[in-house]
Amino acid sequence: MSENTNLVSAGAEIAGRNKRYVVWFYLLNLVFAHFGASAFSDAAHNILDHSLNADKLLHGFNAGVFTELLTRPEFGALPAASHPAMMFAVVFLLASLLFMPGVLLGYASDHGLPRDEFYRVCGRNVWRFVRLFLFFTIIAGAIGGILFGALNALVTAADKTSNERLPFFTQLIGTGIIFLVLTVIRIWFDLAQTDVVLRDQPAVRKSVAAGFRKTRRNLARLLGSYVVIAIVALALLVGGILLWDTIVPPSSVLGAFIIGQATLLLLLAARFWQRATAVAFYTKEMAEPVVEETRPIPAFAAPIVP
Amino acid sequence: MAVRLRLICFITLSVAVPAFAQTGSPAGLAIPATTSAINSPTPLSQRVVAYDMDARYDAKAHALDASETLTYHNLTGQALDTFPFHLYLNGFQPTATWIREGKREGTRGQNFDTWDPKSYGAEEIKSFEVVGQGDFTSQLQYIHADDDNKDDRTVVQVHLPKPIPPDGYVQFKIKFHDQFPEVLERTGWNRDFVLGGQWFPKVGVWWHGAWNCHQFHAYTEFFADFGVYDVKLTVPQNEVVGGGGVEVSSVNNPDGTKTVTYHGEDIHDFAWTASPHYLVYNDTFQGSMGPVKLRILMQPAHWGQVERQARALKEIMDRFDRWYGAYPYKTLTLVDPDPGSQAFGMEYPTFITVGTFWWEPEGLHAGSVETIEHEFGHQYWYGMVATNEFEDAWMDEGINQYTQIKVMNSIFGPSTSVFNLWGVTAGQIDEDRLIYIGVADLDPIAKNGWQYADNNSYGAITYGKTALMLLTLESVIGEDTMRQAMRVYFARFRFTHPTKEDFLKTIEEVSGKDLRWYFNEAVYGTQVLDYEVLKISSVPVDWYKENVKEKKGQTEYVCNVWIHRKGEFVMPIDVETKFDNGDKVREHWDGQDRWVRYEYRKKAKIESVEVDPDHRIQFDRNNFNNSRTEEANDAAARKLANYWTCIGQFFAQLLAWWLV
Repeated sequence: MSENTNLVSAGAEIAGRNKRYVVWFYLLNLVFAHFGASAFSDAAHNILDHSLNADKLLHGFNAGVFTELLTRPEFGALPAASHPAMMFAVVFLLASLLFMPGVLLGYASDHGLPRDEFYRVCGRNVWRFVRLFLFFTIIAGAIGGILFGALNALVTAADKTSNERLPFFTQLIGTGIIFLVLTVIRIWFDLAQTDVVLRDQPAVRKSVAAGFRKTRRNLARLLGSYVVIAIVALALLVGGILLWDTIVPPSSVLGAFIIGQATLLLLLAARFWQRATAVAFYTKEMAEPVVEETRPIPAFAAPIVP
Repeated sequence: MAVRLRLICFITLSVAVPAFAQTGSPAGLAIPATTSAINSPTPLSQRVVAYDMDARYDAKAHALDASETLTYHNLTGQALDTFPFHLYLNGFQPTATWIREGKREGTRGQNFDTWDPKSYGAEEIKSFEVVGQGDFTSQLQYIHADDDNKDDRTVVQVHLPKPIPPDGYVQFKIKFHDQFPEVLERTGWNRDFVLGGQWFPKVGVWWHGAWNCHQFHAYTEFFADFGVYDVKLTVPQNEVVGGGGVEVSSVNNPDGTKTVTYHGEDIHDFAWTASPHYLVYNDTFQGSMGPVKLRILMQPAHWGQVERQARALKEIMDRFDRWYGAYPYKTLTLVDPDPGSQAFGMEYPTFITVGTFWWEPEGLHAGSVETIEHEFGHQYWYGMVATNEFEDAWMDEGINQYTQIKVMNSIFGPSTSVFNLWGVTAGQIDEDRLIYIGVADLDPIAKNGWQYADNNSYGAITYGKTALMLLTLESVIGEDTMRQAMRVYFARFRFTHPTKEDFLKTIEEVSGKDLRWYFNEAVYGTQVLDYEVLKISSVPVDWYKENVKEKKGQTEYVCNVWIHRKGEFVMPIDVETKFDNGDKVREHWDGQDRWVRYEYRKKAKIESVEVDPDHRIQFDRNNFNNSRTEEANDAAARKLANYWTCIGQFFAQLLAWWLV
């Protein structure tokens, strides 16, 4: 427990020291989502701005009126409004993929990483991170697919009993277990990503192997740390929604914006906290060479020369 | 239309026989005039039938063997030599009309992508005797007048050599075997639960000079004569049983079974249920005709909700009692069917099924409470006012939906009567509007239930449009007058089979208004109602002068308002114009032209214009264009865009969280 606490607090310390990364990613997240919402926003403005019926959506949230709005032909098909949001979510994913190496190197540095160094390491690791992403997708997809398939079969079987709660709790517990398994895989690849960046490892398979070994040997410690942070994130999300529901007046667009954005910023920070925890673990446990190196190991604080 | 004509020809020809001197009516038969199941010293209906049934249920095979003695009193005024019977469990066969329609249109249970043998149901007549005339088992004929589906065996008829004279009686002794389907809809088994609906051979209704006995259709199923039911059900001793009417006795048999006996009066159907899991909750409602024993059969997982449901039921019964008339029966059984079965939300006389889920929040009024309201409402609009659901489904489901809105809104408030959860609300009218506007012009309200364009249209028009049409009618005749009309309609037509014109004429009579213009469009037509504020303008009177500055309160404007009737539905409407000095002007437009323009000269500009400012018209297809403001107020759109942005951000974070 104390090891977990140390790791979590070490991660918090690193993430706290490098708040700018969270802020930049948050801004990217906000800007992309804003673009993603533009089609929806335009359609809503077109119908609501001059209609008194809009009051039912402003002073409260009448789900019937909202659904009616979505069904109006002049609103357009809902998929047309939601596609941009999905597209920009993918853009954010790609941006995360692109800039994460710089963040990891920044987290490992004991002083602020120069901007040019940040971009250099990002560029240097693009293809490596793409390969890691593909590795992760295949492994997590296969394991997740099998587990979800098994869970589905279990829930179907549970559904045949007259105990109505059984399928619900089977689903709940099963999803929780799958969440834990996928978290383990995520930890594995977080360590692999850290290894790729900090060791400047071109052979990502070696980092994947190293990440796997370390995850396996320190599973409880790492998983405990990640789960603690995930619980904090969940609490932040629930707290944010409750605050939104209880203290923000229905007609306060600004209030809803502030609470919503604060919650989303903190959620993003939680993920960066996990990242920082992985870096903290790495610098403590994996700094020694785990594979035979052909090049000198770069100092974490030193600029990496391409 | 052709099918309907064939049906009328068939039923008319089938009875066009002279009243023979020699008749088939045995002596000594009568329909009991007992009143032990009702809070009335005299029978409430003209009792046409008496069913005496003895059924043994095999819980393992989900099957039933029964004998039925049906005594029929010929009150048609003419001799009858043909009798049709419903055999509706035969509807659960892949070639039956019910499944055909379900496959084509979809049902609430499933889409029939594949045929599951467990869905098979059957109702087989083992012997059919007409007392005094002999055995007719081999002479039974399946008929299928609605759709000419020769594979449909849901209606059977028998032709008697000796006609039953006017005011005569005939007695049928029928032995039959039922195979219940796994519940697709309405009836059947699920695990160790069973709901016995549409389970016995039931005679058709002689209505307007002909037999009315439709095939079993995917959406409609009810029309029968009032009478007396005595039913003995033999089931395994571990089963908890519920049924229509009054439970007379429950006797354990030496073979591990028990026989539960029910007696019902002035009802037109009998349904029952059995499950070893039910927990029983008893309560009493004090109605204006006497106490009503409430029996709630609850799934153990839902027991925590039983008091809430009982409270809601009594509150609903109280409103019906005060608003429309008394519930005269001594019992009402409320059933919480097996979870996951499609047996929820059904109505039978003095017996309703509801359904809930174990975590149902109190703020979700559209869950069990709305279902209780709806199914109890059917005790009035179907149970007592026994309209023909096949041909006038709207008088059953739609009128019931209208009273549901009135009752639910009065209990929970108009804007929260569907749900009020975490700041998100919805009202009953919103719900009905939503289902209606999607298919507004597909079918008229007045249409045979099985001939709607599809499942959506049937639901949207019979439930949604009817309810909205009656709510809107309140704006024409007044809410109090409408309630009075409903009360008169109930009092006048309870325990009868009224037609659509009976209902519409009652409203006209009570309101003292000729409402044909409205009914022709709203009930018989498919016109869609859609008014819009086309445009508004405020132009200074001396706009042509140079260097004139507009001053609030001093500059005079010519203000114009254009109202456009976009839809074909013509209805008089009010138009309210608000000016920026606080003045309001209200106009009444008959809606006859496609558009109208109102012009005002005022020292104020138009602030907003609204069609139907009191929000009395409920089936305007587009409420957003009913008003127009001069100044844009983008707060609502910004609020929604903010929600959308947050959702987009969250989704993007989630994706990046897991994949990078």
